[in-house]
Amino acid sequence: MIEHYLTAFSTIFLPQNLLAICLGGLWGLMAGALPGISTSMGVVLLLPFTYAMSPITAFTILVSAYCGGITGGSITSILFGIPGEPSSVPTVIEGHSLAKQGRAAYALWVFLLCSIGGGLFSVFVMMGATPLIANFALRFGPPEYFALTILGLSVVSGLSGGSILKGVISALFGLFLAMVGTDGITGVERFTFGTSILLGGVSFVTAMVGLLAVSEILIEAEEPFKEYKEASGYKGMRKEFPKLSDFRKNLTNLIRSPIIGTIVGALPGAGATIAAFLAYGEAARTSKNPEKFGKGAVDGLMAAECANNASTGGSMTILLSLGIPGSNTTAMLIAAFMIHGLQPGPLLLSQKPDIIYGIFVAMLMANLFLLGLTIIGIRVFLQLTRLPYSVFSAAILILCVIGAFGLNNNVDDLYVMFTFGLIGYFMRKQGFPIAPAVLGLVLGDLAELSLRRSLLLSLGNPLILISRPISLLLLCGAGFSIIYPLIKKPKALKGV
Amino acid sequence: MKKTHLIANGAVFVFFLFMLIHAFGLHEIRRFGEVGSGFWPLLVLSSATILSFILWIREWRSKVREKEEQPEGNEGDSGGNRIKVFGSILCLLFYVIGMPFIGFILSTFIFILLFIFVLGERRKWILALSPPLVTGLIVLVFGKLISMPLPKGVGIFADFSRLFY
Repeated sequence: MIEHYLTAFSTIFLPQNLLAICLGGLWGLMAGALPGISTSMGVVLLLPFTYAMSPITAFTILVSAYCGGITGGSITSILFGIPGEPSSVPTVIEGHSLAKQGRAAYALWVFLLCSIGGGLFSVFVMMGATPLIANFALRFGPPEYFALTILGLSVVSGLSGGSILKGVISALFGLFLAMVGTDGITGVERFTFGTSILLGGVSFVTAMVGLLAVSEILIEAEEPFKEYKEASGYKGMRKEFPKLSDFRKNLTNLIRSPIIGTIVGALPGAGATIAAFLAYGEAARTSKNPEKFGKGAVDGLMAAECANNASTGGSMTILLSLGIPGSNTTAMLIAAFMIHGLQPGPLLLSQKPDIIYGIFVAMLMANLFLLGLTIIGIRVFLQLTRLPYSVFSAAILILCVIGAFGLNNNVDDLYVMFTFGLIGYFMRKQGFPIAPAVLGLVLGDLAELSLRRSLLLSLGNPLILISRPISLLLLCGAGFSIIYPLIKKPKALKGV
Repeated sequence: MKKTHLIANGAVFVFFLFMLIHAFGLHEIRRFGEVGSGFWPLLVLSSATILSFILWIREWRSKVREKEEQPEGNEGDSGGNRIKVFGSILCLLFYVIGMPFIGFILSTFIFILLFIFVLGERRKWILALSPPLVTGLIVLVFGKLISMPLPKGVGIFADFSRLFY
């Protein structure tokens, strides 16, 4: 194994591969940061350029873009409140709140260090435990997926802010939104009311852009200039470098979140978004200051960033060892394997170890290079916050419009975004937290399909959900997650 | 507790109730041995309806209690500058509706000008410079560099858009 790694390091350190890491990382950062271009789209757009490259250079540039995309999604989330990627929603909630308090540079440092840390952790796990994780992920059937979504939804109390009741209603609204469209099992239209716009369901990104970014611009429009002066008062990047004690205080969180990210990333269909929400929810549940969540909680930001970047290693693990894509982007990477005449799966490790170990080392180097590349990206984007508030918020709304339109190049998505902007404004004004609704929307589809598939497997017997050890363990975790805050903080019940 | 909260929470309850009634129509759609299309919607929407009803009652009781304590009805509105909010909403609405017809460039230019004016911007140099600069930068990045097929509009507007992307 050591000789494989030595060969891989010597290959990746060739000038063309180092250049591929830089270019792929920068392109990924841009794709992740700009609304309308997702990480997977960024990887797809790079694919034609890799035809003429050697396989190892091609995979180096593609995995660098993948890691860069996941990292870049958080830059616009923190600075402008626009989630570049669905997995960046917890970052919008906490990171953008910190930015509005004049701590944008601090939030960006925390995001950067945690992203890179999470990414590196998952690469090391991938290098050492690929077969182990792959075997574990294969034991996940519909009951386990359902239990996982329930565990994810159980953190609603931690995301509810003042009123748990409003938080639960908000999460149920999110679950309702996830039902809209064509039923995945029977093919029946649900809650579309005859409109073709809703046939494909409510798009995550469009809804999130409306709920989070558009609604916030509308809220800030009430008192624009006052809010802007506070937001623009960020200090220089160097002055705001986080203290070591900030990380030491969150050591458990910093260990737990990348583990969650790597494991959830390895589950097909789960990916970075669910990983980020699960880690964020766990951080909210175990935090000493849960009241700070939603108002700029540093531990929440750390958890989400560690987890979403760690999911890259998890997704790659399951792709390389079993040939199963753990996320949209890794599904695109399968195309790259095929273009180069390779079949990802168990045989690849024995037949083409140079490619596999090369990818491991490329991901490791990409994460290290991203530390420098992201600082450059942040400096460029920070200049935008110096614009007059009115122009700045107009630019954000235009980016929101492009983000919604760019998904399918369809103007119908603009109407959906506008509607969700109004819904988000209504929710904020009435004290309904937005995070649980987004959580419900993200997890709703997976929860419903896995529950129905479980019941299909068991011929309608719900005991299947608790008769398998992993699902039982996850459901117990969910139960504990719901009951623990009620026991720990009886005062919180007064707000219910 | 403001009257608007009471009305809003009532609207939330009515919304979920309406959707719940609609979900009953889905209950029977299933094949033999399958859990139907209405199973999950009924589970979620019935919970949402019950909880929103509880919230509504709680808000109503809280309003009654507040009225007893403050019979004069001091319902101060902290809504801020609503004209700016409604103006912003209208600008955005016209922007998304107008874009398919007049194209991305013109609609964005007009949107920026109107939106910053509605937000209270009165400095002439910002009003004059920001619409062309921001529109130009965005068209350059998204239309030219990334080649995103931004809406071109119809008729003469499409011809105008084709001059740029």
